Amino acid sequence: MLLGQGFKEVYNLAGGIRAWEGAVAQGPVELNLDLVRGDETPVEIIKVAYGMEKTLGGFYRRVGDQTADAELGRLLDTLASIEEKHKQYLMELYLSVEPSGPPAEEFERDVDSTVMEGGFRTDEFIRTNERFLKSVPDVLDLSMMLEAQALDLYIRFSQKTANEETRAILSRIADEEKGHLTALGRLRDKQGRG
Amino acid sequence: MLEKLKKMFTPAGNMQPEEARAYLNEHPEGTFTLLDVRQPSEYDSSHIPGATLIPLPRLSDSYDRLDPEKPVIVY
Repeated sequence: MLLGQGFKEVYNLAGGIRAWEGAVAQGPVELNLDLVRGDETPVEIIKVAYGMEKTLGGFYRRVGDQTADAELGRLLDTLASIEEKHKQYLMELYLSVEPSGPPAEEFERDVDSTVMEGGFRTDEFIRTNERFLKSVPDVLDLSMMLEAQALDLYIRFSQKTANEETRAILSRIADEEKGHLTALGRLRDKQGRG
Repeated sequence: MLEKLKKMFTPAGNMQPEEARAYLNEHPEGTFTLLDVRQPSEYDSSHIPGATLIPLPRLSDSYDRLDPEKPVIVY
């Protein structure tokens, strides 16, 4: 169908989604798209992403503070540190986009810290997922789910935006998210073997 | 004309799931299209992150949403 319409390269995913063993996302196309207007500048969209990383890091720390399980505590600490690295990446991205813009402290002050990556709100997320926050494998699965939702949301944001430069930034952030998913997958495989 | 007709009857290539996963990881976002042609309810319950949903019955009216220059992976 697409080849007949001039599309140059078309591939069918063999076996469809049933054969897909990678991460998946859930929810309708519009899910959490109201978190952006669609006319954000690159800096504004970096701020949105930075806020989500910051909130997710805070979530891991909060759950970590409440656990008595030392192994789980260490994992949550690692996950929170990973989010710190993501924040650093976004700060570098901000400085590369606007080298003469407001300093990092000012940038950080304006950030919204109520929504986690993927568009989840911390309190509600903890309430609905409490039973999945008690063991290392469950928390790893949950963190992979969060990253998959985040990747999906950044790409849907990019489809909503009208600004070409903002779209390019969102693509870079999405590529970074793919790396996070791969790293978490490795961590999960390691835990599985351990 | 002949070229167009030939293309119309050329089957799309298959991509194995592992190949697709590697492709999606190795290629920057924005350089390809991952297309989900299932029904919205199927997309809602589970989709590959970043997939664009255009249900098959609506595809012929939606070509303008896709870039023909970019490789398309369909499921």
